[in-house]
Amino acid sequence: MSQHDRARDYAALFRPGLVHRDLYVDEGIFRQEMDILFGSTWVYVAHESEIPAPGDYVTRRIGRRPVIVTRDSDGGLNVLMNRCPHRGATLCRDDRGNAATITCPYHAWAFDPKGGCTAVPARPGFGADVDLARFDMGRAAQVESYRGFIFAAMKPVPPLVEHLAGAAGVLDAWLDRNPGHPIRVQSGSMPFEVRSNWKAVYDNAADGYHVLFSHESMLRVFAQRYGDVDMAYYNGDFDASALFVKDLGNGHTLLDQRAEMHALSAWKRQHVLPGREILWEQLNAALGEEQALDLLDGSTGSGINLNIFPNLLIIGNQIQVLEPVSANTCVINWYATTLDGVPDEINAIRMRMQEDFPSFGEVDDAANFEACQVGLEEVPEMEWVNIARHIDGARRTRDSDGHWREPISSDLHPRAYWAAWRALMDSSAESKEKAA
Amino acid sequence: MTALAQAGYFDLAYYSRLTAIVRGWLELEEIDPSLLPEPDDADACRRLLFQEARYIDQHRLEEWLGLFTEDAAYWIAADVTGRDPARTISWEFNDRRRMEERVDRILTGKAYSQLPPTRTVHSYSNIELIPAGPDEIHVLCTFEIRTLFAGEYGLKAGWNGFILRREDDRWRIVLKRINLFDADKPQTNLSFTL
Repeated sequence: MSQHDRARDYAALFRPGLVHRDLYVDEGIFRQEMDILFGSTWVYVAHESEIPAPGDYVTRRIGRRPVIVTRDSDGGLNVLMNRCPHRGATLCRDDRGNAATITCPYHAWAFDPKGGCTAVPARPGFGADVDLARFDMGRAAQVESYRGFIFAAMKPVPPLVEHLAGAAGVLDAWLDRNPGHPIRVQSGSMPFEVRSNWKAVYDNAADGYHVLFSHESMLRVFAQRYGDVDMAYYNGDFDASALFVKDLGNGHTLLDQRAEMHALSAWKRQHVLPGREILWEQLNAALGEEQALDLLDGSTGSGINLNIFPNLLIIGNQIQVLEPVSANTCVINWYATTLDGVPDEINAIRMRMQEDFPSFGEVDDAANFEACQVGLEEVPEMEWVNIARHIDGARRTRDSDGHWREPISSDLHPRAYWAAWRALMDSSAESKEKAA
Repeated sequence: MTALAQAGYFDLAYYSRLTAIVRGWLELEEIDPSLLPEPDDADACRRLLFQEARYIDQHRLEEWLGLFTEDAAYWIAADVTGRDPARTISWEFNDRRRMEERVDRILTGKAYSQLPPTRTVHSYSNIELIPAGPDEIHVLCTFEIRTLFAGEYGLKAGWNGFILRREDDRWRIVLKRINLFDADKPQTNLSFTL
């Protein structure tokens, strides 16, 4: 039994409101997460609009497993292991492209976009009647798309919509902001490399507590220049505000600012960005003020952080995907989105807006994630990370959909996802023990 | 070569003009020697680039802003193929106003990605001057930036595309387009000035 497979007693790493530093710094636990956690649940891999035509593909990861996400000639979606079944070589070495045939550069084994082996050179050398199906590519056990979001699982798991639980309805609301204008993920991405554990990043995904502090420089500059804009509504007693966080089930969570951000007009709350005035003017002239504002509001500040455990985060108009690299390195990939069938001015505004928070806000968060990693790695005597805000449940309320919500600065998010983490890691450890 | 007019700053026509200019840079062949700038202008443009790099390395960001025109842009591309910025994300694509906000943010002392500021040393080389009108010169150069932040040493490399314009007998920067050679790959902290 390799070290990766050895069941660990994770219970010792958790106390009420506390999680142990080993979960952030231990390479052995990281390998188990990549193999077991990412290997036993739905993992987001790509958006359908990235691969619209037969033969289109992108390369992604499920944990550390390199995969190719393809569109086949029947329009079907396939998530294939980017590993030649012959000797293990990486088959596809570009990030994206279109190919009717995937050919291994080493011995020229060839595969179709469904992963079926179509040719091996000098085939009789494998036996006179060898069946090529023996040499098909490895593939995810299950692939499903939820309204364009493609997820894959490495072993049989319950249906995707069941897994998404309360997250499905929030994703619907995000997608339905601009009826008749589906999102398209074809505008590039910003992959941030951060020297911290992937969960130090994930911890922040519904953290309403850090906003006034980590983002003080951003909030201060925009307040000085433009007054009550953006997230200025965090000022004061934010826990008494209409903002909240919510446990959506299965480790998924929501941070919801819509009550404040969308109270009047998201676009009018948004501080200026390059081209704001001239493009607004041109849209008003072309569409009339009302329709222009509808489209602008629909492309400004979604007001939610929707986190689908373990690797998909919807933030603003972007699709953020976590790609763990090692115990202390993570890539945060921000995919930009445009809308189909809207004036080009709207999509130009979306681009400049989607550059705004990453360069004015995310950079400071990233520096803080990295600083956390340093502290966790370098002080073994201090073993615990605190996730205890509002753990007493005094401000917890049950929403009409049955899910719990808590004040905006609660640590409900880390408590919810760690529970999902333990359920996945512990059940896998138990089943392995039984099998042994 | 398309000239970059001031009108329609950051509207779709502006993006189209910029895209055409960047495509021209990506497909550049031999520069016609008969069209090269006057030696005095060429010298002034080179000195402007070195001054620009020096101000960054000396953390003199307000003086650095003073080297740019009122219709300037600071642009860190996130792709390596010259895609249209009207429908492509960049690492940063800032008009003059957002350039000033960026500097203001760093100078608050609360910008934790720049606390303390990234130390840099910029080297510009392979400088090529491309004439683009009586008062406009484009400059391509390669760059290497050594960095130090939070105890980590780093190296960024690529090429810059500058648009320079003569205003009141001084050469000023209209556009600095930073093209990291790995712009489409994971990047560490880019919150310093490249």
